[in-house]
Amino acid sequence: MPQTIVVAEDQHHIRSLLEYKLRNSGYTVFGVGDGAAALQKVMEVKPDLVLLDVMMPLMTGFEVLAALKQNEETRMIPVLLVTAQSKEDEILKGLDLGAEDYITKPFSPNELAARVKTILLRSAKARE
Amino acid sequence: MGTAYPIEFLIIMGFAAVATLMVLMISLALIIHKAIEFQKSWRQERLYGIYSSAFAQILLQELPSLPPNAKTSAVFIQYDSLISPIKQRLVAMTRGRRKVHKEVLRRVMIDFAQDLSGEPSERLVYFFYVLGFVEEQLRLMKSRHWWIRAHAAREIGLVRARKGIASLTAALEDEHPDVRNQAIQSLIVLVGVDALDIIFGVSRNLSQWTEIELTVIIMNFREEAVPYLITALDSYDDSIASFAIEMLAEIGFIQAVDPLLRVLQTHPNTSVRASAAEALGRLGDGRAEQALLTFAFNPHKGLRVRSIEALGRIGTPAALPLLQKRLAKSEGEEQTTIARAIGKCGHEGRLFLEQCEQSGDSLVSALASQVLEELGSETVSG
Repeated sequence: MPQTIVVAEDQHHIRSLLEYKLRNSGYTVFGVGDGAAALQKVMEVKPDLVLLDVMMPLMTGFEVLAALKQNEETRMIPVLLVTAQSKEDEILKGLDLGAEDYITKPFSPNELAARVKTILLRSAKARE
Repeated sequence: MGTAYPIEFLIIMGFAAVATLMVLMISLALIIHKAIEFQKSWRQERLYGIYSSAFAQILLQELPSLPPNAKTSAVFIQYDSLISPIKQRLVAMTRGRRKVHKEVLRRVMIDFAQDLSGEPSERLVYFFYVLGFVEEQLRLMKSRHWWIRAHAAREIGLVRARKGIASLTAALEDEHPDVRNQAIQSLIVLVGVDALDIIFGVSRNLSQWTEIELTVIIMNFREEAVPYLITALDSYDDSIASFAIEMLAEIGFIQAVDPLLRVLQTHPNTSVRASAAEALGRLGDGRAEQALLTFAFNPHKGLRVRSIEALGRIGTPAALPLLQKRLAKSEGEEQTTIARAIGKCGHEGRLFLEQCEQSGDSLVSALASQVLEELGSETVSG
């Protein structure tokens, strides 16, 4: 059964690209355009990974991340943050809140796919 | 018999009716205008979504691998095969429709260009060329409106169009600072640190904003920027030379001492020489001491005071005899600067100031007390 990923990104172009790349890499992908929808979708599908943009309407990526880590059902789901370049404070805050890893824009789609693969492998090993 | 209304009443009623009608018409026009705007924006967003999805596929679609001896043009032929459906569709459109689609397409591509790196971004650069966006930006660089030129300069950098380097270089001399600043940023994106050579070679009379822009860029490159800053010391433009001096002091690279000494000794502009004296003080290298001592007696006050300050920053006792001699002969702010420089010349300097405190000259005595207080006022004698 393919692994599932929720992609939360408000910018349409990036969301399309991430969805396309991850689907082509064999994952089942659910794309959402804001933080509140991301939280709802994660609760609904319990994905293997959440790809979370930091700057989103309704709920920021940090708020979603904090909510996920506080919930017993979702706190083990790894989160990969997508953040703007050179915002070190954002990166540190995300990692403090429990994000597994981060990727900064501009990013290479191949690098992103490689990171997703590593996180999913690590997460599967941790569950064993 | 009907009631006869006075003529004035009828006129007023007539005006009221016309005014009401006008208000209604204006409101209706505004509602229609808003509706058209909304529809236009909704259509553009829909188009944006369609082109985003299409471009995500075009940018990520796997291409058949080429043989090792394949020409570079073979890659472009592959890229052409990806973009040709969109190109053909654009050609088939009416002029007005094509304009709307191209505008949305350009927005989508610029957004991708800002967020992507790696091979997909190389594809994007090619697509910008073949869809005519680079030519369009180069044309806009000649606009008579500065904001259009500034925007075009920015986009040339974003789309990494190396064809735009000549236009950006010319824009370094643009009459508007925003255009110059955008040209600087784009040149750095396109050429890297080597762009500093072009920027310092062409720019004239740096504005405050350009200096801020360049400071951020140079502090990112740090040591890599030093050779270009040293070359810029010889610029015919004094604002460039002064800026290079400031940056060399800020980076604090010791290699800069000899070039700065050369500027201090030979530059035709005394203010630039004064800046070099200050920078040498900030670098704090003892090699500058002899030259600074010479300039501590220069007739030009700015140069003299900066040299004395620099000696204070370097703080070696060798400067003390000359500074002591100078203290009695100077006055005002210069005298305070000398006293401070003496105070920083180690144990002997402080000892001398303590002696001055006891001297008969009340002004020198007060000044010595003030400087000792500033330095922490711990006594070294007794």
